[in-house]
Amino acid sequence: MSTAVQEKETILSYLDGNFDSVSDVKAIGAINQKGAGNIAEFPFPTKKDEDWRFTDLKSISRNHFVAVEDAGAVSVGDISDYYLPEAMNSRLVFVNGVFDTELSSLSDIPEGVTVGTLAENGEDEAVKTHLGKYVNYDDDQDVFAALNDANFSDGVFIHVPKETKVEVPIHILNVFTDSEKPFYATPRVLYVGEAYSKSTVVEEHIGLVENEYLNIPVAEFKMMEGSNVHHARIQRDSKKASHISRPMAHLDKFAEYHSYTICLGAKLFRNDPRVVQNDEEVNFTIDGLVLIDGEQIADTHSAIDHRHWHAQSHQLHKVVVNDKAHSIFNGKIFVRKDSQKIDSFQENRNLLLSFDGTVHTKPQLEIFSDDVLCSHGATIGQLNEDEVFYLHSRGLTKKKARELLVYAFTLESIENMEVESVHKLLLDEVVKFTSRDEEFLAVEA
Amino acid sequence: MLEIKNLHASVEGEEEQILKGVNLKINKGEIHAIMGPNGSGKSTLAKVVSGHPEYEVTEGEILFEGEDITEMDADERAHLGMFLAFQYPVEVPGITNKTLLRESFNTIARENGREELDPLEFEDYLKSRLEIINMKDEFLERSINTGFSGGEKKKNEVFQMAVLNPKLAFMDETDSGLDIDALKVVSDGINKIAGPENAIVLITHYQRLLNYITPDHVHVMMNGKIVKSAGKELAHELEEQGYEELEKQFSLNGEAQ
Repeated sequence: MSTAVQEKETILSYLDGNFDSVSDVKAIGAINQKGAGNIAEFPFPTKKDEDWRFTDLKSISRNHFVAVEDAGAVSVGDISDYYLPEAMNSRLVFVNGVFDTELSSLSDIPEGVTVGTLAENGEDEAVKTHLGKYVNYDDDQDVFAALNDANFSDGVFIHVPKETKVEVPIHILNVFTDSEKPFYATPRVLYVGEAYSKSTVVEEHIGLVENEYLNIPVAEFKMMEGSNVHHARIQRDSKKASHISRPMAHLDKFAEYHSYTICLGAKLFRNDPRVVQNDEEVNFTIDGLVLIDGEQIADTHSAIDHRHWHAQSHQLHKVVVNDKAHSIFNGKIFVRKDSQKIDSFQENRNLLLSFDGTVHTKPQLEIFSDDVLCSHGATIGQLNEDEVFYLHSRGLTKKKARELLVYAFTLESIENMEVESVHKLLLDEVVKFTSRDEEFLAVEA
Repeated sequence: MLEIKNLHASVEGEEEQILKGVNLKINKGEIHAIMGPNGSGKSTLAKVVSGHPEYEVTEGEILFEGEDITEMDADERAHLGMFLAFQYPVEVPGITNKTLLRESFNTIARENGREELDPLEFEDYLKSRLEIINMKDEFLERSINTGFSGGEKKKNEVFQMAVLNPKLAFMDETDSGLDIDALKVVSDGINKIAGPENAIVLITHYQRLLNYITPDHVHVMMNGKIVKSAGKELAHELEEQGYEELEKQFSLNGEAQ
């Protein structure tokens, strides 16, 4: 037996940062401190770790990332093309993870509702009570959540009081600019929905140019009794960026949380959505749509934790893979002992358009109760040639027929978007994806 | 309009011939019926004529309005004015009838140097064609054939034909599986579409459809060939005698060759 102890690789091997200094805001500083300890301690994942078996982290480990302030990032120009008409005055803009007052506008947020930054609301009771309480799940040694914990000094804070509905969608716009050096950013969201409140949140991540950066967002949604949220997450990061996100929802009695994650950008996308049922009678969705090509990697490792009686959960994860892209789906569903009357639906449908693309899919159900209904399915297929010929025989070129069929495949996911302009921009993105060039989908099955 | 000369075809990559020398001539204004037992090659003929990639023409040619279309892609044939009503119309979830037909209609218009219709004009045009198959407006917004009954699927084929207004339509077993009401709607629709400027080929196993649509010519196909052609009375003969008599006659011939 070898006695040589290999020095443990941590994420600190791949980035420069001063994690000794912590935020002056007490609620944030405490988390910073804990995070700094954890990142020095937690091993950087390798392919030997079950949860990272198929996901190549080279795009992180081959780089050296610096803090945004040391990256020589260019200032942001006009980004009004990315504004949503429905949210012209309910928008928070973060540039490379830093809040931008000028570009944000919040005049449509009704009185009593807080939509602002974590730093300015550090003394709010809801921040003190809930910040950082949900992201660490099951004591897993999550390096990336820890990095966010260690590094964030600000973020989004949304607090919707009891029996209040926010009519306008809340738009969280994270944009990333060009820089001299690759940098890391750690966007953070805390959403607290009080009893029977309701809102729509659109969380976007947009790379303005094709540069390298590491985007590690953490979102915590605390849903109190009967509260309801529609959470659209749109990832259009730079195709050279890595995006590793940790969205977490914690649901009290009668709460509803419906999230739809759309993945279009990033060289490496890793998304670990987690929903924990904290009381009876909850209803939630964590749907996903992934459109990737080139050498993109998109990995979704979700965990749905049914811990009490009566829950309805829905997870439809649709994937389109072209070129040498690689999709990974690992959907954990837990039904704990004595959590009866659970109705859980999970389906992962993969459309593989090229010979070189790769899809890994693994539904993982751990059920310790007997009176439950859990359906799950995973399919990997090419475009159906009978469908292609049917459209082709009606005068459409084969390319057009295939484009239309891919479009139709994605539609089911996009139709869930509540905000009209988001719905439309996603349809445009699908068209952009399918009509890329003459070669697109030219492969005969 | 259509001339098929000594057509031989097999499934792509396979030796066995399914069509073994089909000859057929169709003029505009005519309705033809091609009858024959299962496995005689009727459906294959329809697919080969429409350009299905599963089949390979090994000998012979297909001329449409004098142009050799034997090697043409299916969409180009559609642009020329050919149409195949499928025996088993495919379900295409997510694409509505309206979307397909607008794309299809405008592509064909564009290819023929005609003006495309804008969405509003097209919607009006579509609605005006719906009465041919006696369907309501909602039909346009449904995903192509998705969850349709057998009858609805066949009606949809006739509807698409009514909208695209082809010069030549091959209708592959459009009558199979229809109840009496649906059969009437479908055959009424075909009769309304049939005119002096187009031609229709009905492929059918049974004489039933021909009680409602009167063909000008009836052909019997067996073992990959058209073995007998005559007027509409042939259909009645077949109904009474069945295919056995003919089969005996022609299998003997086959052995004699």
